[in-house]
Amino acid sequence: MFFHIVLERNMQLHPRHFGRNLRENLVSKLMKDVEGTCSGRHGFVVAITGIENVGKGLIRDGTGFVTFPVKYQCVVFRPFKGEILEAAVTMVNKMGFFAETGPVQIFVSNHLIPDDMEFQSGDMPNYTTSDGSVKIQKDSEVRLKIIGTRVDATEIFCIGTIKDDFLGVINDPTTA
Amino acid sequence: MSFATDSPVHSSSSDDFAALIDAELEVGSSGSSPDEQDNEEEEVDADSDDDDSDDEEDDSNDDLNDHRNKRCKTEKLDDLEGPQGSTSQGLIEEKLEVSLNKDTCTHPGSFGQMCILCGQRVDDESGVTFGYIHKGLRLGNDEIVRLRSTDMKNLLRHKKLYLVLDLDHTLLNSTQLNHLTAEEEYLKGQSDSMQDVSKGSLFMLEFMHMMTKLRPFVRTFLKEASEMFEMYIYTMGDRPYALEMAKLLDPKKEYFNGRVISRDDGTQKHQKGLDVVLGQDSAVVILDDTENAWTKHKDNLILMERYHFFASSCRQFGFDCRSLSQLKSDESEPDGALASILKILRQIHHIFFDELDSDLASRDVRQVLKTVRKEVLKDCKIVFSRVFPTKFQPENHLLWKMAEQLGATCSTETDSSVTHVVSMDAGTEKSRWAVKENKFLVHPRWIEAANFFWLKQPEEKFPVSQTKNQ
Repeated sequence: MFFHIVLERNMQLHPRHFGRNLRENLVSKLMKDVEGTCSGRHGFVVAITGIENVGKGLIRDGTGFVTFPVKYQCVVFRPFKGEILEAAVTMVNKMGFFAETGPVQIFVSNHLIPDDMEFQSGDMPNYTTSDGSVKIQKDSEVRLKIIGTRVDATEIFCIGTIKDDFLGVINDPTTA
Repeated sequence: MSFATDSPVHSSSSDDFAALIDAELEVGSSGSSPDEQDNEEEEVDADSDDDDSDDEEDDSNDDLNDHRNKRCKTEKLDDLEGPQGSTSQGLIEEKLEVSLNKDTCTHPGSFGQMCILCGQRVDDESGVTFGYIHKGLRLGNDEIVRLRSTDMKNLLRHKKLYLVLDLDHTLLNSTQLNHLTAEEEYLKGQSDSMQDVSKGSLFMLEFMHMMTKLRPFVRTFLKEASEMFEMYIYTMGDRPYALEMAKLLDPKKEYFNGRVISRDDGTQKHQKGLDVVLGQDSAVVILDDTENAWTKHKDNLILMERYHFFASSCRQFGFDCRSLSQLKSDESEPDGALASILKILRQIHHIFFDELDSDLASRDVRQVLKTVRKEVLKDCKIVFSRVFPTKFQPENHLLWKMAEQLGATCSTETDSSVTHVVSMDAGTEKSRWAVKENKFLVHPRWIEAANFFWLKQPEEKFPVSQTKNQ
């Protein structure tokens, strides 16, 4: 799920960035530092949308660096247990399949794929129903339900399932 | 949901935010480790979050405080979160029951330390990691057994077996650029373009400071073997190297498809093992040039003659001869090691699927390998002369065992039934007897060559020379 929230961060700025472009330098450094990172609490920071305010800078003793407390608005993405997501399949193997939504890696084990879908090996491994009408392979898009999440410093891992009503393939790359 | 608006200076704390989300969603997502929260955000801790005296929120704040104070307790609380994970305390007893039911999950494996079946956190370090398939994937032993047996059925239906291939000296030969000798500098001008990898056989990988020569016939070999086998690469090289080589061998990703195992993925140091291969041992054939790497799976192994193209590779193995690159030659394409092994693989495949009459699932490719190997020197009776040191039990010698595995009968005494005398020296009594009796007199390398090519070699190619002091 996406959220638009305000976060705060203490930015250290080198004295060479001081001058009339100070604010711009501060913002571009903030973007570089924050966008694309994860925190367990907020999830993945997708983009900074605005600066709320920049507090008073504090000169650090001995270094000349200045610390600014910056409040910024940003869009974050965080998966939740029970959430329904749409994801693109990246890899299919006999254990199940891996899918991605943005930075989030989701694994759906073959225990959590409907029993009527069977694994087919070959150069394009896939899970197919016995009548061949539904096929999950690389680049398929699936709708799945998250049953477990874990966030570390740079990555978000999820366990998903498609063994439930209204879950499964939502497009077929072979016919698209 | 308007978090941005209701977080002015005094209540923009991170705890507040998470509490709000949890309450708002009524979803038990605190399982996703609030204990990993960002340090910087923790500085801005909450003290003024009680404006909203909604029950649910209070409780979830309690939760969060617990998380911070006692880690051991957090785990319990996480377990308590049912799938709906409503945070009101009245439901806790019910949830206990739910969690009891959930605990019956056998946790067949984990991905990013979460059970692949129920999504719970598992910190169990048992089982085998499958880092080569995906980062963070680990499977328990029971699950591996289950996957192997279902996969086996699938594979046998397609009339395929597993083939595990080594890279260096088996399918190709690589050298560091700075190890090239002056004589080999010409190769730099001859290397093939990296644009269309599928045609060339000599590649300069400048970003890895390496030069790689594919063994002649390897493209045909992979193409034909892929019809009979599901193939794995298993190398003692590191992961980036293994993937790079896989790209050269299989530019279209039709043969290996993520089944590339490097030394970083193995479970034991300096050893290769079939435990990370998702195939039953009874259906795996291994091609490798190093017997010692496979101590536990010698019966699955077809030993390859080493391919030394570069001088540095010859030196590494202590050969003092000129390398193929220095001689500006190469292994023969139609009669090289890979071509002859492909014939053997075809034969093994044929016997396994078409000649055995036992139940398909009970067949064992290791038995087939043994039988095929026994055909190589069938009807040969071998006597050794000046091959083993005196006082050495001949039955224990490597060559003796090798000859027996190849189906030959070994003997210590000459008699009329003997067909071959294997000798290092043409001057010994037995050698002279062989010449007189018109028996084959061959060098020990004749047996080694038969062992590599799985084919009886022409005897006249392995003459025995007279030693000088005789």
